[in-house]
Amino acid sequence: MLDAKLEELRRATLAGFASAVSLEQLEESRVAALGRKGTLAQISKEFGKLRPEERAQLGKLLNSVKQDLESDYGDKKRGFEQAELAHRLANEWIDVTLPARGVRVGSLHPITQLQSEIEDLFTSLGFAILYGPEVETEEHNFDALNIPATHPARDMQDTFWLSDGNLLRTHTSPVQVRGMRELKPPLRMIAPGRVFRNEEVDASHEHTFYQLEGMMVDREVSIANLIYFMKILLSSIFKRDAIVRLRPGYFPFVEPGFELDIHCLICDGAGCPVCKQSGWVELLPCGLVHPNVLRMSDIDPEEWSGFAFGLGLTRLAMMRYGIDDIRQLQGGDLRFLTQF
Amino acid sequence: MKFSYRWLAELVPGLADDSPGPLELARLITMKTAECEGVEPASHLDLHGLAPDYIIDIDNKSLTHRPDLWGHIGMAREVAAITGGSLVDPVKVSLLPTGQPEIRVRIADHELCPRYSALVMEGVQVDLSPVWLQNRLESIGINAINNIVDVTNLILAELPQPMHAFDADKLTGDTIHVRLARRHERLRALNGETYDLTEEDLVIADASGPVALAGVIGGAETAISEGSRRVVLESANFNAARVRLTSARLKLRTDASVRFEKALDPENTVRGLARAVELFQEVCPSARPVGGFADDRGVLRPVGPILLPVNFVSRKLGTRVTLQRVVAILRALGFTVSEPQAETLIVTVPSWRATKDISLRDDLVEEIGRMIGYNEIPPVAPKVSCVVPPANPMRLFLRSVRQQLASQGFTEVYNYSFVNEAEAERFSLSISEHIAIRNPIGSELTHLRRSLLPGLFKNIVDNVRHSPAFRIFEVGQEIHGNASSLPNEITRGAAAIYDAHGDEQDFFELKRVLECVFPSSCLSAAEARPFEHPTRTAYIHWRGTVIGRIFELHPLLLQREGVEGRAVLFETDLDLAQRLTASRLLRYTPVRKYPTSGFDLSVISDIRMPADKIQDALAQLAGSHLASIEFIRQYDGPPLLPGQKSVSYHIEAGALDHTLSAEEVAEIRNQIIEGMRGRGFELRV
Ligand SMILES: [Zn+2]
Repeated sequence: MLDAKLEELRRATLAGFASAVSLEQLEESRVAALGRKGTLAQISKEFGKLRPEERAQLGKLLNSVKQDLESDYGDKKRGFEQAELAHRLANEWIDVTLPARGVRVGSLHPITQLQSEIEDLFTSLGFAILYGPEVETEEHNFDALNIPATHPARDMQDTFWLSDGNLLRTHTSPVQVRGMRELKPPLRMIAPGRVFRNEEVDASHEHTFYQLEGMMVDREVSIANLIYFMKILLSSIFKRDAIVRLRPGYFPFVEPGFELDIHCLICDGAGCPVCKQSGWVELLPCGLVHPNVLRMSDIDPEEWSGFAFGLGLTRLAMMRYGIDDIRQLQGGDLRFLTQF
Repeated sequence: MKFSYRWLAELVPGLADDSPGPLELARLITMKTAECEGVEPASHLDLHGLAPDYIIDIDNKSLTHRPDLWGHIGMAREVAAITGGSLVDPVKVSLLPTGQPEIRVRIADHELCPRYSALVMEGVQVDLSPVWLQNRLESIGINAINNIVDVTNLILAELPQPMHAFDADKLTGDTIHVRLARRHERLRALNGETYDLTEEDLVIADASGPVALAGVIGGAETAISEGSRRVVLESANFNAARVRLTSARLKLRTDASVRFEKALDPENTVRGLARAVELFQEVCPSARPVGGFADDRGVLRPVGPILLPVNFVSRKLGTRVTLQRVVAILRALGFTVSEPQAETLIVTVPSWRATKDISLRDDLVEEIGRMIGYNEIPPVAPKVSCVVPPANPMRLFLRSVRQQLASQGFTEVYNYSFVNEAEAERFSLSISEHIAIRNPIGSELTHLRRSLLPGLFKNIVDNVRHSPAFRIFEVGQEIHGNASSLPNEITRGAAAIYDAHGDEQDFFELKRVLECVFPSSCLSAAEARPFEHPTRTAYIHWRGTVIGRIFELHPLLLQREGVEGRAVLFETDLDLAQRLTASRLLRYTPVRKYPTSGFDLSVISDIRMPADKIQDALAQLAGSHLASIEFIRQYDGPPLLPGQKSVSYHIEAGALDHTLSAEEVAEIRNQIIEGMRGRGFELRV
């Protein structure tokens, strides 16, 4: 008799669960069957009147009915919850293409970015990074670099002379002198910085531009070593083999001296104002440090030798980003600068 | 310097029209000798070869150290060495007449004039040169004038030996003097100008005075003219620095002076005369030498032989070079080489490379390196000890400042290091305190900047046309003159927020940015400079030191430029700031183990009382129990009296060793309230 009631309860409740269309209806059915005053509780009250063996048998049935109902209820409840969550989330649709609020990230100047990359590269190779002053003495800028006052090479460098008797450095090479005197050999250093030439400004000439000087002095330093560092430098900047050529070049502070040209990346070698129609851009004057230069910084050229190079950072930036007008780099136009 | 392909081909007979041809030859010269700037068809036909010619233009800068390359023979020697051809020397010294010279030469100082050779020619008829000679000169950019001058110019472009022809009948006396000019001497030159000479200028003089500026230009009075019958040919060698000095002082650069400046070969003086005798036979057949040639020379100090171990070359180039290769290259370039002991050479430098170009074995390494070709040297990593390079803390600091600013929306600008008077004075800087440029490019860029602000201001004015709101910054050197030898350069970081519809929130936005760049920095009101907003200007304090200023730009500055809106700026001394970061050792404070209790307090004060003073007072009164204090809001208006404000804070109090009881918290709160009242503040409790 009780077993029939239990079976009926199971059937009716499962049907109730099945027909529930909301969490509330499901809950009503559950409370009616499994609640504290629900049908199952009523039935279990009648167990007291049973014999022990009947009680055990029906107890099993009761537990099984209870488990079935609870399990089905759980499934159904999760179903409703999931559906409700899905519904709510579906209504939380946003247009992800709307612009975000707040300030946009700014940008670093292309020369800053390039300089940082090269500084990191050379730091990893054990080079010191030195910053020298923009205003220099004649001695540092010329004499100590084997360019005495009567030297025709001074014509090659149109110098800004200052009212205090000093000058605006025409290259970063004076930092070589500072490096040799401060660090003492063996030494490896680079020195990026702003340099100045008294030149009229046009698309390919600036009176203010950037160089990065490099120097290594050790017991045995060769041109093959210098070429090694140049190749590393260029492949790290361009992430591929750049087309270059090495040709003789004259700089009083190196001997032998040569020049690394890069295939013009503005016109791809066809000729443009940046490469003066030649298809090649001078990028890296370099060579072995002249014995006189070592001597003038108290380094014995019989004992030590070194290489030096002067990378044109501005040129390199122009090549890397395809900038065809050098004036943009210091023009302060945000339409240009925010592209980097 | 322009080179004629056909002229070179005459000197290096193997050079054919198509092999290597002008373009390929120009490329080879660039790769082995000097930079070619272009190849053009010549303006004139080459009448020797009866064919079109090509002109190879070499960048003068790459010839600075090579006096020999200012003439075709020098370049032809290079070409022969590069192509494996052989050089024909056009000079026949045997043509020089012997005997007693018709003119005497006296050199006062052989340091200034190492050698002076001269020859008198008579029976001269001044006329136009033959067309081949005119064409040859015009093709390389030298104007044809007459047969006599054209011969001297041809030799200038060939040997190279600048020469000068005086009209012998216009010279006074029988002696040519080479001496320094005397005070008050003047010279009317061939170009029509009259030059006042100084005792620094080297002159050629006859008995009556200067007739030429040595190595620079001849005088008008003794110049040859149509009627000249006898000429004195000067073929001399002058001190390079001296010629350069005079030429620079007079701002007079001539074909002769640019060559003498490079230190020419003294052996060429007599070679020049011999070449002239030969050419005169063709272009002025009536002329013949009178007497022998005069030749005054000092003791020429040739460069001694250079000892060159072959392995020195290999070590410097970083690649193995054979003895045979070294010898072959040096000989092709005119060096004399012997091998007294195995693998070590004795190299004698030829006169045309010995004036200053080559004196060290390192110089010889260059000769070998360039002829092998630097492209042929395989890269090799150096074998050096592995050490940590010396630190550059400024680099990392500047990088972090830049990156912080960029991530806060600022775009980095680079401005020039120059300012002019108007720009400086806009920012209350007197132009007289700036270092001036003695040779400025224009009237705009006359002085060195002492501040980054004029640059940023210009950036703002320039960019408002394209953008209603933006943020910019610059990190750069300010240059402050001082008495010691070099100026004081300060690395300054400056930033600006511009907004066409700006309000005071821009100031606090920039303050927030400052706190990102310089964590825990704070501000205190500062007296404004004329370009600053009088009530929106503050010092920036960081780690106990004032590192700069933050301010709203005085509205008039933008208004005067027709710019609407507001700009807020800061400028900081980054050298100083970096030093403040240097010695900081961070120690951690233990995290509290016991919970804290919080309460709010509102303090009423004068409306201009700085909030941080109120906060400091609250914090001080909370004493050791203070866990944190946070600003909530500020209010002014009813029911407060006019001129009053209420500032609210949330305070968290706690103890390190137990949880505070309600009574303890109440006691702390009361202690603060009483304390604040004691300091004259009212509290809204
Ligand atoms: Zn190009």
